[in-house]
Amino acid sequence: MTVQEFNPEQLAKEYMHKSPEAILQMALGNFDNIAISFSGAEDVVLIDMAVKIDPNIHVFSLDTGRLHSETYRFIEQVREHYNIKIDVLSPDSAALEKFVREKGLYSFYKDGHKECCGIRKVMPLRNKLSALDAWITGQRKDQSPTRADVPMVEKDGAFSTAEHRLIKFNPLSNWTSAQVWQYIRGNDVPYNELHNKGFISIGCEPCTRPVLPNQHEREGRWWWEDATMKECGLHANNLNKVKNQ
Amino acid sequence: MIKKIKEDGSPCRKCAEVEKRLEDAGLAVRIDKIIIADERDPESEGMRLAAQYKVDRAPFFIVEEKDKLPRIYTVYFRFLKEVLNAKTSEQEEITDIMDQNTDLDYI
Repeated sequence: MTVQEFNPEQLAKEYMHKSPEAILQMALGNFDNIAISFSGAEDVVLIDMAVKIDPNIHVFSLDTGRLHSETYRFIEQVREHYNIKIDVLSPDSAALEKFVREKGLYSFYKDGHKECCGIRKVMPLRNKLSALDAWITGQRKDQSPTRADVPMVEKDGAFSTAEHRLIKFNPLSNWTSAQVWQYIRGNDVPYNELHNKGFISIGCEPCTRPVLPNQHEREGRWWWEDATMKECGLHANNLNKVKNQ
Repeated sequence: MIKKIKEDGSPCRKCAEVEKRLEDAGLAVRIDKIIIADERDPESEGMRLAAQYKVDRAPFFIVEEKDKLPRIYTVYFRFLKEVLNAKTSEQEEITDIMDQNTDLDYI
């Protein structure tokens, strides 16, 4: 089956209630040019599941240059534990040097994190994905309201282009954080030591902090910024009113 | 071009930014009509068009050509490239992608 023939909408329905392992099996069975995006956090469970299907699974991580030392150690631990190669991707040096020269090393505390994330994460990610047919992420519905509709498989709306159709698999979509941790403990999966220190969502060191009991994991990221993530959205309530007329 | 007025009556930041970029690039003259999607008024033309084309982002662009179905663009740089045949920088493209995919920075 070619990338063009692959029907993510139909498969998303068929696999809606299937296990993460079944999704991975289907993903790896359909695509050779596919990779797991590993953030150095709970998504390690994807690697644990995938190596049982394909010991040579392609894994990449985005090294922003600002990760915790614990995360770097963990990426190395995962590489050794599973005896896999991990492509550790760096930002474009010219773009990063220009950005730091003009704005310094902590501009995100003043004018928001988007520009820094764009250069350190999204640019290298986009570059990597342009050479893949499909990728696998650890995104889950329970991580935030904006992920509430994450399907098991989809055409990647962010990085597909007119010339390049990219498929995205989210095998953990239906799992809760509790299920992920049950798997980690039940299978002796190595995990980032930051989790022992109260971190749930793990990103760059200056932009991530531990959360208190019952705080949402997103509260540990970019906590100094206003919650205006839906700035560009057209409020669904109003759109629904129009649709219902 | 459909641009948004927010529920509190203030203009949408991204819409204003895109409008300025169009003007700075001398491309504003190629936009035939600017329509308001007023979140306070579901009857506003822009809100109706958003519902009709199932668009939940602003700004967005509707491209109409004779004997063809309308094409909808929610990502500004794609509209620039594919419709106006304009060049965009990688940084601009990344900014647009992140604005349209608010979860990307959590990757």
